[in-house]
Amino acid sequence: MRTLLIIVSLLFVALGAGAARAHAFLDHAAPLVGSTMAAAPHEVALWFTQNLEPAFSSVEVTDGSGARVDTGKAAISANTMRIGLKTVGAGTYRVRWHALSVDTHTTEGSFTFHVGGQ
Amino acid sequence: MFRHPRCPRICAFALLFLPLSFTPALAHCFVGARFFPATLAIDDPCVADELSLPTVQWSKTGDVPPATEWDISAEISKRITADLGLSIGDTWSQIRAPGGPTAAGFSDLETTLQYQLLKDSPHEMAMLLGLIADWGGTGASNSGIGTPYSTLTPTYYFGKGFGDLPDEAGWLRAFAVTGQIGYQIPTRSYDVAQSAYIPQVLVYGASLQYSMPYLKSEIQDLQLPDFINHLIPIVEAQLATPAANNLGNSPVTTGTINPGAIWVGSYFQVGLEAVVPVNHASGTGVGFLGQLHLYLDDMFPTTIGQPLLGPSTPLQKPSF
Repeated sequence: MRTLLIIVSLLFVALGAGAARAHAFLDHAAPLVGSTMAAAPHEVALWFTQNLEPAFSSVEVTDGSGARVDTGKAAISANTMRIGLKTVGAGTYRVRWHALSVDTHTTEGSFTFHVGGQ
Repeated sequence: MFRHPRCPRICAFALLFLPLSFTPALAHCFVGARFFPATLAIDDPCVADELSLPTVQWSKTGDVPPATEWDISAEISKRITADLGLSIGDTWSQIRAPGGPTAAGFSDLETTLQYQLLKDSPHEMAMLLGLIADWGGTGASNSGIGTPYSTLTPTYYFGKGFGDLPDEAGWLRAFAVTGQIGYQIPTRSYDVAQSAYIPQVLVYGASLQYSMPYLKSEIQDLQLPDFINHLIPIVEAQLATPAANNLGNSPVTTGTINPGAIWVGSYFQVGLEAVVPVNHASGTGVGFLGQLHLYLDDMFPTTIGQPLLGPSTPLQKPSF
């Protein structure tokens, strides 16, 4: 029992020292996940719970037919991804992202947002 | 619980601290956008580097009058390769009968070897095969908590998230189910001391879970309080049905239904469930089950959070 307590204590000390990092979860996005906007945004921004490795992280935005409507390469810095959007009209748009946190954990996900009150 | 330190246990733990190479990690139960938390009553469908310490259960037995039972357990799971994992666990139990003696001690040491059959990201589906070994004679068999014989339980585990439903399904896409089914085979067919047959038992269980993190990041961000956004409400069921060699024993299925919730953080999760017996043979009244579960792969991503042999996952640039 005492051995176990020591082990657990060491684990929490390690956490408290800030040595640990974890999977990068999507914390929030702009536009908000699943939101409906009156006008199309100029960019999509994603904030994650961990810092990202830019070379192995990316994001794309597609319209209802699967065509890309983003402007290309994402700007990735610290825990944030940003990607510009072409001029788009009303419709449903899907954001797909793939993230590699700085400690090499991979995560991925996707969500939609709507323009024009659909 | 490692009450009696023995070389194999210490050596197994020491191995975890060997410095390992820097490779990309996926580890605990991520399948595409879906995260399956470590469930409390049954096992999740992935090999992983994790530590459940402690798991505490309080319940009342089905005896008349019922005895009060405390179970405190620990389990460590370690990936040997990216798809092969080993778990070692033990439980300390205390059973106090009103006006009667108190039995206490460790149950038999339990090991589980698991192989990851499938992780299908687009369909959020995982499958796992395992062999649970309960090592007879390693627990307090003289107090009836351990047994003098071993059992082997080949087990199949699965998990399925509903995120691949059409977008029109909306909030339903945050649901997921997991389950397991195994067949427990004792190494003896007859217990001479108890003058009873030792049955082969079908052991099975399932969970239905609703992921608030999934709802927020994949379906709709309702801007709920942060605590709520980390919750996974869950109902688990674990059941056992004697299937063979049960002459003279009760044929009744026993088990519990456990409603509760798991709070998921970056490095650990905390789960709390009520324990509701399915019948009187399974217990009396409502008990509780709580667990602190540590994600070793997130806490120590470059050392014990890596498989002992080989890379975790190949490092790939995303295709878009």
